[in-house]
Amino acid sequence: MNLYLYIFRRLLYVIPVLFGVCLVIFVLFNLVAPDPAYTLLGKHATIQQINELHHELGMDKPFIVQYLDTVKTAFTFDFGYSWASKQNIWDMIKAGAGPSLSITGPLYILSSLLSISLALLVAYFRGKFIDKFVLVLSIVGLSIPSLAIILFGQWFFAYKLGWFEISGYENGFPNFIPYVILPIILYVFIFFGGDTRFYRAVILDEAYQDYVRTARSKGLSEYKVMFKHVLKNSMIPILTNLIIQIPSLILGLLLAETFFSIPGLGAMVVKAINNSDFPVIKAMTILSAFGFILFNVLTDVLYTVVDPRMKLK
Amino acid sequence: MSYDKILEVKDLVVEFKTDRGIVKAVNGVNFDVFKGKTIGIVGESGSGKSVTALAIMGLIPNPPGRIASGQILFNGKSLVNMEASEMRKIRGNKIAMIFQEPMTSLNPVFTIGNQIEEVIELHQPHLSNIERQAKAVDMLRLVGIPSPEKRVNEYPHQLSGGMRQRVMIAIALSCEPDVLIADEPTTALDVTIQAQILELMKKLQKELGMGIILITHDLGVVAETCDSVSVMYCGQIVESADVETLFNHPTHPYTKGLMDSIPSFDSTSGHKKERLQTIEGMVPSLFNLPNGCNFQDRCSKVTESCRGMKGDPVLKPSKGEGHFVACFNPLS
Repeated sequence: MNLYLYIFRRLLYVIPVLFGVCLVIFVLFNLVAPDPAYTLLGKHATIQQINELHHELGMDKPFIVQYLDTVKTAFTFDFGYSWASKQNIWDMIKAGAGPSLSITGPLYILSSLLSISLALLVAYFRGKFIDKFVLVLSIVGLSIPSLAIILFGQWFFAYKLGWFEISGYENGFPNFIPYVILPIILYVFIFFGGDTRFYRAVILDEAYQDYVRTARSKGLSEYKVMFKHVLKNSMIPILTNLIIQIPSLILGLLLAETFFSIPGLGAMVVKAINNSDFPVIKAMTILSAFGFILFNVLTDVLYTVVDPRMKLK
Repeated sequence: MSYDKILEVKDLVVEFKTDRGIVKAVNGVNFDVFKGKTIGIVGESGSGKSVTALAIMGLIPNPPGRIASGQILFNGKSLVNMEASEMRKIRGNKIAMIFQEPMTSLNPVFTIGNQIEEVIELHQPHLSNIERQAKAVDMLRLVGIPSPEKRVNEYPHQLSGGMRQRVMIAIALSCEPDVLIADEPTTALDVTIQAQILELMKKLQKELGMGIILITHDLGVVAETCDSVSVMYCGQIVESADVETLFNHPTHPYTKGLMDSIPSFDSTSGHKKERLQTIEGMVPSLFNLPNGCNFQDRCSKVTESCRGMKGDPVLKPSKGEGHFVACFNPLS
């Protein structure tokens, strides 16, 4: 099967998925969410003002036309302007992507490296002290709500010890560093528990397979057995988990950006939800749906690289 | 001829720690492996055959298992308590093993050539890449895989079960081991393929002169391939002899029972179609072995003295040279 043909065919699936995503967004906003006109105009708006705004936002058109407008947005990526700030949405996304990535990029690399190598280590020493120690640590990390970890980190490391900035952000490469270190460290801890448990389970699942016994019977060292034979067989779930996280990197961290006052995409989404800023939420939802589809295809293609039994169909 | 003896297992005891206490999976096993000869180890599931094999390979998972006592001597050198790095030099090189499950014993994500070369690279590091690749192809040819130059780049899932077992044999033999341990090598294969694999092992044994430990529950396989046999029950050897003696004069009721449970297709002997004989009952739990003989509850010849408190029966010489049996009340 030709690789490009496969990718092309898989990308065609984007079309029905985007139709579906648009339907969900549309139904949620028109049937569940409150009328944005009230949010935008405030309590004392007159009926006339509301009607005018409805007309301006295109909310007086028939539902089907509104739905098709949403679909058109999804396919053209022409997201229009924010209702709240009147800014071009693409400009807002460009402005927010940098701050978001300055946190999520390093966070993704650090936490993936940490959890995979730690998982290999504890799988190697399964049942021994270090395995149990990491188990306890990851369950502690899993059990504490991330909000508590963020608040404690801000209070203790930033306020009490004064090691980091409590919140805020500055654009530009070296300038942002003092602001992103604390959120990165805290989120490495927040993600570490679940990820390490997951990777450890995946690796241990392979560690008791028959081919591992064969590898040992050849006289291979335990190191080679784990890092060559076991790791390569564990790559499918590991890759899936790694790649599917990438679209969310671009979305940013909703909670962290809000708490650390970082002007990223996460904070932008939270603000848009509070303001019923339909176009912004729509844009971010469509973009992330698109991202997930794209990276899913990438995962499928990578499967065939790590596992010869996989064939693209 | 003592120099012919390459492997000696002496009073081997392997224990496993479990939640319900310590279990002796292998309890005082003795046997010798001779150059160019095949010894069969026969028994039902759970009789300790595979654990014995893993003990020789130094692959008892520890914890929970350990070799509690006894000796394993390879060319006079003790393998028990050997340094892990020393043992790795022997494993796969001087003593190799093939396993019951050819379908899962090969690593699915590496080519078979890669998996053969891996063991050659490990134990014969002086070979160049090209020599090593050539040797992998030679090994595939040796075990009778057609067009080995092409097959060497294939993955295990592209091969049938019989072919995979041939690849396993190629891996095991690529360093020309002195001892080959074959743990139920044909159990998972079709009968016709079984015969081919056994034939292949015999042929290669003649060429390379290794001693083989063949672990099986199939007495038919034993009759076809082995020189001597040890019958295991509950972690102990209950009877051992050369193949002919054992088949002609089984002395332990358990051995007799095993033989009677082989289906017979002998239509000329005048026997009416008989129901297949079975050994009643099940192997007792190792947690709860009876006093006296472990086989007492399933034995047709059991007497009061078998149930006594005098411990397990020990292997004693029986009629004929090299014939030993552990029974309080042996068949005559």
